[in-house]
Amino acid sequence: MGEMDTLKKEADGLKTQIEAARKAVNDTTMAAVASGVAAAPRVQLKNRKTLKGHLAKIYGLHWSADNRHMVSASQDGKLLIWDTYTGNKVYAVPLKSSWVMSCSMAPSGNLVASGGLDNMCTIVNIKAASPKTLRELDAHEGYLSHSRFLSDTEILTASGDTTCCLWDLETGKQKVIYKSHVGDCMCLAVSPDQNSFISGACDSSAKLWDVRDGGCKQTFIGHTSDINAIAFFPSGTAVITGSDDCTLKMYDLRADQEVNGYQDAALNAGVTSVSLSSSGRLIFAGYDNFNCNIWDSLKAEKVGVLSGHDNRVSCIGVPDDGLGICTGSWDSFLKIWN
Amino acid sequence: MEDLDLPQMKREVESLQYQLAISREKSSITVTELVKWIEGCVCDDPFLNPELMRANPWVEKGKCVIL
Repeated sequence: MGEMDTLKKEADGLKTQIEAARKAVNDTTMAAVASGVAAAPRVQLKNRKTLKGHLAKIYGLHWSADNRHMVSASQDGKLLIWDTYTGNKVYAVPLKSSWVMSCSMAPSGNLVASGGLDNMCTIVNIKAASPKTLRELDAHEGYLSHSRFLSDTEILTASGDTTCCLWDLETGKQKVIYKSHVGDCMCLAVSPDQNSFISGACDSSAKLWDVRDGGCKQTFIGHTSDINAIAFFPSGTAVITGSDDCTLKMYDLRADQEVNGYQDAALNAGVTSVSLSSSGRLIFAGYDNFNCNIWDSLKAEKVGVLSGHDNRVSCIGVPDDGLGICTGSWDSFLKIWN
Repeated sequence: MEDLDLPQMKREVESLQYQLAISREKSSITVTELVKWIEGCVCDDPFLNPELMRANPWVEKGKCVIL
């Protein structure tokens, strides 16, 4: 018991020192720096396409690097790969377990991954003669909440077992395990240079990890509930988090702290998903209240709303070319807006 | 949230020591540079530069399509 107490005291002491170090470099505010910046215009987007085909709640979507195709996952037990320009479904991948919580597509467009309450991440080759399961990554002890490919040979996963993991797809084995969160990991985002990634968890913290050595480099606190969504700024120097506490936060990686917050007293719905426009000036956030709010990332003001879904917006994404935004909902539809 | 056991607690302390040791830059520099970076990219952002949205892949080009 004695050693545990000593360690706990040491941990608390270190956390206090970290907060002091953060305060020491906090010599300005985003509001002050952005005061000279012109406000972003009101953003009014039209629903250009509605992709219909899923028969149950949609839990995940991910754009292809080709800016045209997209994969979506629904608890109807299917992954659908869409040609969003025509609205056609290109492939349908039946899932062994319908309790899917996330999906992703490899940058090459050859592979898709999905997983959920089966605790596994299933990798499927969609370019084979008929979609073929390549691997079942089976070592997490909790649900699979999120995944992102680094390439056709490596994938990162986040799990309800509080860990994240880097897998080697050639062997199907875990390469690196990222352990530090004390709550379910709900989301992850990879840095533009792929050397680090950030995870958000039910312990209300976001952690920045070195992909290769598994070390937690920084921990960002401030949220008061589960972090459901996370995204890197295109510069790679800041991240945006969205939480069940109904707010979004911007954390500056170089100053190691929160520099902006996005909340509205009238907003009483948790944030489920987040994505950024190509410059990072606009934040698109999906909420439990069926809407998606558009925020000016610098001024922290709401500049638009996307309404049209009849149920929670569960996932959201902007393709790499930044030409539009797709929202996915529990109402079973995907909508493309610009 | 489960309580950590002894080895986990030791790892947590090590991790915190590592996290404390990182170099932090002044926010007056980092935030200023972030704002500059974003502002610099706005002209290439289709949501903020209507010119770029002209080539809209999800909008019908002509009025009617001959099938």
